[in-house]
Amino acid sequence: MADTLTLEGAIAWLGAFRDAVHEHGDHLTELDSAIGDADHGSNLVRGTDAVMAALDPPPDTVAALGKKTGMTLVTSVGGASGPLYGTFFLRAGAAAGDVTELDAAALGTVLRAGVDGIRSRGKAELGDKTMYDALGPAVDTYDAAVAAGDDIATAARAAAAAAAEGRDATEPMEARKGRASYLGERSVGHVDPGSASATMLLEALARTLAP
Amino acid sequence: MIGIVVVSHSAALAAAAVDLAAQMVPTGGPVVAVAAGTTDGGLGTDATEVAAALEQAASPDGVLVLMDLGSAVLSAELALELSPPEDHEVRLSGAPLVEGLVAAVVRAAGGADLATVAAEAEGALEPKRVALAPADPPADPPEPASSADGPGRDGVVRVTLRNPQGLHARPAALLATAVGDLDAEVRISHGGRDADAGSSLELMALGAGQGAELELSASGPDAATALRVVGDLVADGFGE
Repeated sequence: MADTLTLEGAIAWLGAFRDAVHEHGDHLTELDSAIGDADHGSNLVRGTDAVMAALDPPPDTVAALGKKTGMTLVTSVGGASGPLYGTFFLRAGAAAGDVTELDAAALGTVLRAGVDGIRSRGKAELGDKTMYDALGPAVDTYDAAVAAGDDIATAARAAAAAAAEGRDATEPMEARKGRASYLGERSVGHVDPGSASATMLLEALARTLAP
Repeated sequence: MIGIVVVSHSAALAAAAVDLAAQMVPTGGPVVAVAAGTTDGGLGTDATEVAAALEQAASPDGVLVLMDLGSAVLSAELALELSPPEDHEVRLSGAPLVEGLVAAVVRAAGGADLATVAAEAEGALEPKRVALAPADPPADPPEPASSADGPGRDGVVRVTLRNPQGLHARPAALLATAVGDLDAEVRISHGGRDADAGSSLELMALGAGQGAELELSASGPDAATALRVVGDLVADGFGE
């Protein structure tokens, strides 16, 4: 059983995220058409395609991978998810440093740095109906699992489950950030599209690490 | 002169807003750099484009950034993080894009510093609010009458507006930029309201139409020149 996320594994994670975004892009756009500007799926399809193209040839450290991925998302996505996911990977890469693999604890540090970046970029709090509602509980759960002695794959699976729970919890919320906040009460009853794509990101990680 | 950056989801929206603002300063204004739309012509913002625009508009006097919705703000903040300005201040403005840009361009063309231009942009909705407010009583309490006759003032001049539209946007901008070029503080009052003549917004908020009588007062080294310049512009009907 793998006990680290290797550089190749991290690239495979991004590939799995790209595949999930392709498969569920229409669903993301449908969620976004209810409370946003109906482009979240198409933006992430374009962004993740651009990322996978930019990773050939592959970077030689996790830091370089994070920077390349982040900058590519920033320049290719267009919507708010560009600077937000871009910040996630830029901060994550910077926290990883010039290494070629991450053990369970190091992955926790990297995920935390990325999620803190998203939170400060978007000035989001839990309950604002944003991607942070999925990502915040996910990194907390990941850290708790690692602290309890779980291996990296088990911790990632727990994080993905926590993200999904956080995503589902956005449905009854009234949006306080982003385009959906213009809708006020009318945003209630719809899952936040950012929380849905963020959950896909963590589910892709869990699938990549699965034994 | 400060530089200005416009960040918008739409290249067309940004170009039109810049056109509208440029029309107010026919004799030349600040550098206005644009970062708008995605590279494939769609709607969106790109932090690296914003960083390039910040470089293009860079000025030792500072740069003011005007933005439209949501991700425009995120991209501007990320651009500052990706390439922090080395030796000048950059301010992100909470002003509405169109009104704020027009106000900022006019004020910047008059040579105002970054803080003054930023404040002008932030107040850019005021003329619209005043125009839509119930006519009586006035939306703002009038300044005390004594303020126009205070110490250091070089007399008060009364002029009557001749041009058909009164002090609307273009004449207000002409007047504000003309005054901005001089070393003088010029106040204009009308109907119980008082305006800084360097601020096109405050001038528009006077609500002065054709036939309105304005009281001009000025202080500072160029006070006499300023009164003459303003008097000439008004007498000439702002060329209309």
